[in-house]
Amino acid sequence: MGALMVIFSLQPKQKRKRRDSVEDELELSAVRHRPEGLEQLEAQTRFSRKELQILYRGFKNECPSGVVNEDTFKDIYSQFFPQGDASTYAHFLFNAFDTDHDGSVSFEDFVTGLSILLRGTVQEKLNWAFNLYDINKDGYITKEEMLDIMKAIYNMMGKCTYPILKEETPRQHVEIFFQKMDKNKDGVVTIDEFIDCCQNDENIMRSMQLFENVI
Amino acid sequence: MAAGVAAWLPFARAAAIGWMPVASAPMPPPPRDKRHTRDELIILNVSGSRFQTWRNTLERYPDTLLGSTERDFFYHEETNEYFFDRDPDIFRHILNFYRTGKLHYPRHECISAYDEELAFFGIIPEIIGDCCYEEYKDRRRENAERIQDDEDNENGNDVTQLDLTIRQSMWRAFENPHTSTMALVFYYVTGFFIAVSVMANVVETVPCGTGSRAKEMSCGERYALAFFCLDTACVMIFTVEYLLRLIAAPSRYKFVKSVMSIIDVVAIMPYYIGLVMTDNEDVSGAFVTLRVFRVFRIFKFSRHSAGLRILGYTLKSCASELGFLLFSLTMAIIIFATVMFYAEKGSNSSKFTSIPAAFWYTIVTMTTLGYGDMVPKTIVGKVFGSICSLSGVLVIALPVPVIVSNFSRIYHQSQRAEKRRAQKKTRLARIRAAKSGGANAYLQYKRNGLLADAEEEASKEAGKALVCKVNPTFETQHHHLLHCLEKTTNHEFVDEQTYETSCMEVSMVKPSTSRSSSVSSSPHGLTSCCSRRNKRKSFNVPNSNMTAGRRGSVQELSTIQIRERPLSNSRSSLNAKFEETVPLNSEQQPYITAAIISMPTPPVTTPEGGDSASSPDFLQSNIVRVSAL
Repeated sequence: MGALMVIFSLQPKQKRKRRDSVEDELELSAVRHRPEGLEQLEAQTRFSRKELQILYRGFKNECPSGVVNEDTFKDIYSQFFPQGDASTYAHFLFNAFDTDHDGSVSFEDFVTGLSILLRGTVQEKLNWAFNLYDINKDGYITKEEMLDIMKAIYNMMGKCTYPILKEETPRQHVEIFFQKMDKNKDGVVTIDEFIDCCQNDENIMRSMQLFENVI
Repeated sequence: MAAGVAAWLPFARAAAIGWMPVASAPMPPPPRDKRHTRDELIILNVSGSRFQTWRNTLERYPDTLLGSTERDFFYHEETNEYFFDRDPDIFRHILNFYRTGKLHYPRHECISAYDEELAFFGIIPEIIGDCCYEEYKDRRRENAERIQDDEDNENGNDVTQLDLTIRQSMWRAFENPHTSTMALVFYYVTGFFIAVSVMANVVETVPCGTGSRAKEMSCGERYALAFFCLDTACVMIFTVEYLLRLIAAPSRYKFVKSVMSIIDVVAIMPYYIGLVMTDNEDVSGAFVTLRVFRVFRIFKFSRHSAGLRILGYTLKSCASELGFLLFSLTMAIIIFATVMFYAEKGSNSSKFTSIPAAFWYTIVTMTTLGYGDMVPKTIVGKVFGSICSLSGVLVIALPVPVIVSNFSRIYHQSQRAEKRRAQKKTRLARIRAAKSGGANAYLQYKRNGLLADAEEEASKEAGKALVCKVNPTFETQHHHLLHCLEKTTNHEFVDEQTYETSCMEVSMVKPSTSRSSSVSSSPHGLTSCCSRRNKRKSFNVPNSNMTAGRRGSVQELSTIQIRERPLSNSRSSLNAKFEETVPLNSEQQPYITAAIISMPTPPVTTPEGGDSASSPDFLQSNIVRVSAL
């Protein structure tokens, strides 16, 4: 009787194993990525050799395979925000970093993005931010896109906030944003409106310089 | 947060630029970046193996030795590195902890060595990763058990004879038969009687040839009186033993609850119940049943056999596996019995009259006994019968290895305990010899008063004590230290024997004071005193002048005795007295105590030190009460 049970249970496992092995093979082949040489990266980005070395060491430590896929990215980013759920925002960030849209962020993408954020001109930074908000990359930020971004940002806060987070807070925030940014009131924000408006805002200008010395 | 992820913090901060345009309030100023220094490599030299890592890596955990300023204590300026005189193999794992944030436990390392290294480097073991935590905990528990075992044994053996009351010594005799000959005798006697009683119970039922009547009688009926007397004797012995144990038990309530005492009671109860009940025909059936319980006497053997105890303990600890075995067997029996019953229902004159009747067939088949008193006749029945026997083998074979491995583990544990006990004796003997070797060395040094000799003697003594040669410089410095201590306290070091004898002496000194006033006139009295005392041990007299003459015959270097001060002022009078009394005892012991000689004169407590060149230390002002080194 026990033998019968054993025989029956063996069957499905074999099928599963066959499927898994094919996937494993695929993964093995895709996993090794080596970045371009140090000189090339030095030329492409605004980081010095030393800084690139430090960045790469940290990158490689966490992602030994050389590329970050979205899950790992979400994982890493979530560790910085333990109270809330950072996965949505990490998703948008991932898309912003993954400039060639191949589903993974290699070290070059990573470093290029960082170069803009940390060493770029204000124009470049604002460009990058616009790119982040424009989820479908069509050149316009709609209210829905902005709402998504806002909700993602508020999600990172988690439940335990003071004052208590209400349902309509992101929506109100989006309204304020659009009132400020949307000059011609057509319901969307274009890149020029965005950059214009930001450059006229003291606070935003000042805060753009905040993270210069992060590396 | 994992250590590696900390490297991504710059990225997270940079990505925060994405919030800036939507921010509703101005941002706080960034923190001042304290460390503007470049990250540098730190060299850690651990017993010659050089490890290098970034300073930042180490400073991830600032509450450990390597991560805090505590490592500056180990900085070695000449070579510009941090030197640790520790085990490099284990250090590898500790450094990996800094790098990866996970602490692993290597299986081949000794648990106490590993714990020591962790403690040294200030890492708490609780952060060991899940992959290695089980193993670590297991090994730690084993180690703790071993230490606990050792302590228990030590405590058990340390109790000296003098401290126990009658009750405690009785209990000790019962529990450890090898402690005294009486206990051993008792042990064997009870064992013998258990065997006799069990044999009698067995032989009672053997048919013993035709008696006066036609039918066969069992031996029990033929020699009823003999067996009754034997039974009475055995039960009396068991009762006495039980009562003695009850009296001697430190906690009577606990004793009564224990398994062994219950077995004892069950073993002797049937006899008493039989005595009380008369030979009534109605209750004789019940009486016969009671006699069955006499077989429990065989369990009394578990006090005598460690193997039996281990078996019992194993069964107890495998209770869950046994329960599982029983449960699965019951399930299978019911299933197969039902199937067989319905399969055989069709055939006529089948033995499978009911499902419970089929239970017997199923059990006999599953355990592969196959008596053959019930066999299936139909084809379906035979098919299911064969499946039944095949599955029976499987079901029984599965839990058995678990029980076997449990038994093996417990058995090996007890073996280890036995081995440790045996080794402990030699270990303790070695330690004692080493200790006395050290003491001898010092006392020898004192007598000689020369460094060079002391070195020789020290190494000779040390060699005798099975200890490897000690460092001479260390020895001399150590001796000097002991000497200083002696001077400080105005006492001296002696060895155990002489200490004990001096204890005895002092207790005997008072009564003999009156007698010793006539010591010069009555040598016999002195002889009797001395001989009585000398029967115990031989000891030297460290009389300064005497030693010069007596040193040649010193057998035991350890038997130097310090005692009450020679009570006369002049050494010559002391010598005279000594010379006088030496011939009295020379046949027995070459030495006598100075105390006995010098008792008559009133005690004078003037130090005579400084007069004798060789050993001023021997002249003391007080009675010395110091223990050996």
